Amino acid sequence: MPTGKETHTDQAKPHRWGMVVDLDRCTGCEACVVACHAENNIAVSNPEEAARGRVNHWLRVDRYYEGQFPDVKVKYRPVLCQHCDEAPCEPVCPVNATYHNPEGLNVQVYNRCVGTFYCANNCPYTVRSFNWFDPQWPEPMQLQHNPDVSLRPGGVMEKCTFCIQRIKRVEESADAGSRPVADGEVQPACVQSCPAEAMVFGDLNDPDSKVSRLAGDGRATKLMEELGTKPKVVYLDRAR
Amino acid sequence: MKLHFLLFLAVTVSVPAVRAEQPILFPHSTHINKVHLKCIDCHISADTRDAATIPGIRKCMLCHAKVATDKPEIKKLAAIAASGREIPWQRVYGFEKAAAVKFRHGPHARHKVPCATCHGDMPNAITAQPLVKHNMGTCITCHRQNNASDDCATCHY
Repeated sequence: MPTGKETHTDQAKPHRWGMVVDLDRCTGCEACVVACHAENNIAVSNPEEAARGRVNHWLRVDRYYEGQFPDVKVKYRPVLCQHCDEAPCEPVCPVNATYHNPEGLNVQVYNRCVGTFYCANNCPYTVRSFNWFDPQWPEPMQLQHNPDVSLRPGGVMEKCTFCIQRIKRVEESADAGSRPVADGEVQPACVQSCPAEAMVFGDLNDPDSKVSRLAGDGRATKLMEELGTKPKVVYLDRAR
Repeated sequence: MKLHFLLFLAVTVSVPAVRAEQPILFPHSTHINKVHLKCIDCHISADTRDAATIPGIRKCMLCHAKVATDKPEIKKLAAIAASGREIPWQRVYGFEKAAAVKFRHGPHARHKVPCATCHGDMPNAITAQPLVKHNMGTCITCHRQNNASDDCATCHY
């Protein structure tokens, strides 16, 4: 069991990773979804299984339609794991496969997961996806798997990790250079791929980081905050 | 009799996993003790990168094109080199896919973990064999003793 002990980078304060999504900038292009699939070796479903709700996405773009045709306005909202500080998925896992790590990430340990589905049932954001079968990719996509991310077998729950493999890489290179992790150095795949730069990722424990400054913006809201989940993804509402 | 008993002990105690049949009887002991090579002279990225790497046959032939060419094992080596292929070494360490472990040599070397901690007494070993059992107990014990993180996500993701 994790003891909450800090990593050996000798940092006075552990990181607390969080994200800000500016909904004014999001155009709903779904580049983040594609990048997420490519980075994290997420299996690709087929139309039959998708019709039964068996799709794997760690990040989806919700669409809200306003008005009547032809005066329709579409509002987009990228929804990923909110890495809640009071995550409803964590206490229900009977095998401790999902827990909070010292850096505030809601982690899923694949080889511990027995597939009870309790976590996904208890997630108000419905951002967890289950591998109903062993993962499959249409040819030749199986050739581009990211070696830094494990392939999850069938029967295992998975979810957004905030690209923990990238966080680890940056932390290791910072450790090798005996320097702190710079603001903006860690970029999850979705953040990196967003052409509108709608997503910002960083350390919420650093008051000077871009993500902390944006999280204190007047437009900042959290998704379903009233549930008391204390999400670490902050949405900047549309100004208009 | 005594010698046999010692041999039996040595085999059963120090080799917990299945012995690997290596294509060439490569003596680590000779290269380390007599030629005074360091581990990273051949496993060149063990101190910096993810994988330690196994040297290619061209590395062997840098010396063995001229050195000890009359020995039977070197003749085998030269034959493989002449055929343009690599030596089909048997892998002795590694984690199964289902374990979802991401191991990197670099950080361990940077934190001064001796090679012998995980790879055993290679200076006195002949071919590559799994001298140390690599399971979660081994890793966690060492991590806790050295105040390294024992968070699951340190290795499993």
